[in-house]
Amino acid sequence: MKTKLGLLAGLVILASTSLASAQADWPRKAVTLIVPYAPGGYTDAVGRITARYLEKALATSVVVENRAGAGGIIGTAYVAKAPPDGYTLCVCSVGATSVAPVAQKTDYDPKKDLRPISIVSTIPQTVIVGKSLPITSIPELIAYAKANPGKLNYGSSGAGGLMHYSVALFQVRTGTRMTHVPFKGGAPATAAVVSGEVQISFTNMTDALPQMEANTVRAIAVTSVERSPYAPNLPTVAEAGNLKGYSAESWNGIIAPAGTPEPIIKKISDALAKMVDDADVKKSMAAAGATGVFTTPAEFAKRIDDELAQWAVLVKEMKDGK
Amino acid sequence: MMDVLALLGHGFAVAGTPQNLFFCLVGALCGTLIGVLPGLGPVATISLLLPATYALDPVGAIIMLSGIYYGAQYGGSTTAILMNIPGESTSVVTAIDGHRLAQQGRAGEALAVAAIGSFFAGCVGSLVIALAGPPLAGVAQKFESPDYFSLMLLGLVSAVVLANGSVFRAVAMILLGLLLGLVGSDINSGLTRMTFGFLQLSDGVNFVAIAMGMFGVAEVVSNLESKGEKKAQIAQISSIWPSLKILLLTKFAVLRGTLIGIAFGILPGGGATVASFSAYALEKKVARDPSRFGKGAIEGVAAPEAANNAAAQTSFVPLLTLGIPTSATMALMIGALTLHGIAPGPMVITRQPDLFWGLIASMFIGNLMLVIINLPMIGLWVKLLNIPYRMLFLVILVISAIGVYSVNNSAFDVYLTLAFGLLGYILRKLDAEPAPLLMGFVLGPPMEENVRRSLIISQGDFMVFVQRPISLVLLLAALALLISVALPFIRKRRVEVFKDEAAN
Repeated sequence: MKTKLGLLAGLVILASTSLASAQADWPRKAVTLIVPYAPGGYTDAVGRITARYLEKALATSVVVENRAGAGGIIGTAYVAKAPPDGYTLCVCSVGATSVAPVAQKTDYDPKKDLRPISIVSTIPQTVIVGKSLPITSIPELIAYAKANPGKLNYGSSGAGGLMHYSVALFQVRTGTRMTHVPFKGGAPATAAVVSGEVQISFTNMTDALPQMEANTVRAIAVTSVERSPYAPNLPTVAEAGNLKGYSAESWNGIIAPAGTPEPIIKKISDALAKMVDDADVKKSMAAAGATGVFTTPAEFAKRIDDELAQWAVLVKEMKDGK
Repeated sequence: MMDVLALLGHGFAVAGTPQNLFFCLVGALCGTLIGVLPGLGPVATISLLLPATYALDPVGAIIMLSGIYYGAQYGGSTTAILMNIPGESTSVVTAIDGHRLAQQGRAGEALAVAAIGSFFAGCVGSLVIALAGPPLAGVAQKFESPDYFSLMLLGLVSAVVLANGSVFRAVAMILLGLLLGLVGSDINSGLTRMTFGFLQLSDGVNFVAIAMGMFGVAEVVSNLESKGEKKAQIAQISSIWPSLKILLLTKFAVLRGTLIGIAFGILPGGGATVASFSAYALEKKVARDPSRFGKGAIEGVAAPEAANNAAAQTSFVPLLTLGIPTSATMALMIGALTLHGIAPGPMVITRQPDLFWGLIASMFIGNLMLVIINLPMIGLWVKLLNIPYRMLFLVILVISAIGVYSVNNSAFDVYLTLAFGLLGYILRKLDAEPAPLLMGFVLGPPMEENVRRSLIISQGDFMVFVQRPISLVLLLAALALLISVALPFIRKRRVEVFKDEAAN
């Protein structure tokens, strides 16, 4: 009996040391970075920039694998169910991580199944209005929408996306009502503001910037918590509309499956902390229209929690409203 | 005009990079290859290569895919003339007089006239895209949702009117395509529909799976079914270079063929096959001695070959300016552009000038390459006919399975391809063309999107479709087409054209 116990104890020690050493020499093989969107898109670009940097920093190959579909849910679910050994990571995005789990059915619970490491890039949304409208600021928008309930049409990238929910949240917070016109993607929604088919859109900065430069639309605010370095003159919706805590920002972040050992998380987090200051990365991020960002795993987790809470309230109000 | 020249110059700079020249050459070679092989058409080949272009940049990908399309028009005539086996449906009429000429020992002449006629028509066709593209796109930029809806309706109606064979079957295939297009997420609510609980279907049925299954796999299966490979008599090739006299003799035939090809290429549902038939019919009509046709009239080679190549080029006009596919091949091109994140439509010319002008420039280069590939190297292509199909098709199936998997790294899509391969085979047995199905599948989702968006903005008022002038004109055009198909005169002609084709 005693020997059996001893044997068992020995095995446990053996197993734990081998586990510890596995963590210590991670990475020993190629790391797969899942991009839950199609190649060629914005998240794909951020994923490839990150993969290129991590290859150097971790001295291993980092393979980008696109698992697109269902607005990022398919790829994110794949990572949530992957073995938590540090060899499968995800360039997740706000939609599939913070919005979809409260708005629809997903196979994963972001709080239980995902281990956030760091946000790597953010893009704020820009509130753009058609040039023919007499609206130059957020208070004017609120006043106009209140005077003409349901008359303003806003374009979004599709039902349930951030471009839809950020306006829905704005309406709930300001007591306004506008008509939702979904498009397939942010670019056509932005083009519709230019052509005058819809009057307003909370659109990605990447789509808005060229139109702002061409002076075909009027930008009146950004939806992030802080002003954007790309358009420092634009106030945030929160400050201009006196809407404390209003935030709708598109982010991409590196996330591992829950249960990934702490030393591995730390190794990746340390590498990403340096990545944000890398000159090459900064240049490529700017070319993709993104701003490089670093957060600690704890900050990232809290951000997801806050967003889940914010959208859960909104989804409930939207359902009750119907 | 100067603008166009400057932009075209930019296009040549894009198309002239070593990388894009290489893709152009690969496309031209592939096109000639499948053009020569009767079993494989450009639609099947482009659908098979679609996933492979994923790794390329969009300009290179489109240059290569379009090279396959017009390259097949060259290759198809080779076997038609030498062996009386049209490699493509577009060279069916070429075989009539072309093979006779070959039997009379004038194969070299016929081949040279076909290649030079194609080259001339290809260059003129490319010029038409360059000149007509930007103004058309300018009109299209005024389009709003109701106009897009009416335009797509017109596209579907003309797909029916000009489709091969039975109108009833064409309508049924379009409806089936529209139904398949409904699978996925509802645009207004974001909820999934008709996905049978498969998360993989929540973005709709994978386009590559449908295209590869219906065209690639189904074509392989039906080819394997036909027992006994044809071993045709190959005519001897005499001198390739035609005397100046013959070239002068055919110059008007080439010119007429080119004009017909340009017109049919731009029309939705027309395409290269109908263009070549019409060109042949016209030559017969204008000839002083129509009885020469069928016995080796050189115009009977020159005009249809010019027409099919001109149509192959100009069918890119509606695709690049309006985002409307006029044929199954162009529907595949839309798929290829979408895979690369480019929404086909009026924005392509301004947003993707590299793509638009680079593609046009590559057509000039590609046509020149094709003349070289096809004339001096003709013996090599003829030898290819000795490859046993059993081997070829095995390779094709394996490559397509790998290809479809690699698009989304999804095994589900491979099963889907198999399922559509089976469906495509059954539809072939029922004499139902898969091309209208693909048109319905490609045009259905944007049509739904635009009709619903129109109604949201008009607050449910259907009059919006007739109040906007652009939309009204397009709807009237669709109506006119529908009436024309009902008129006995046109219906009879339509049947005749396709009966000729079936007889060959």
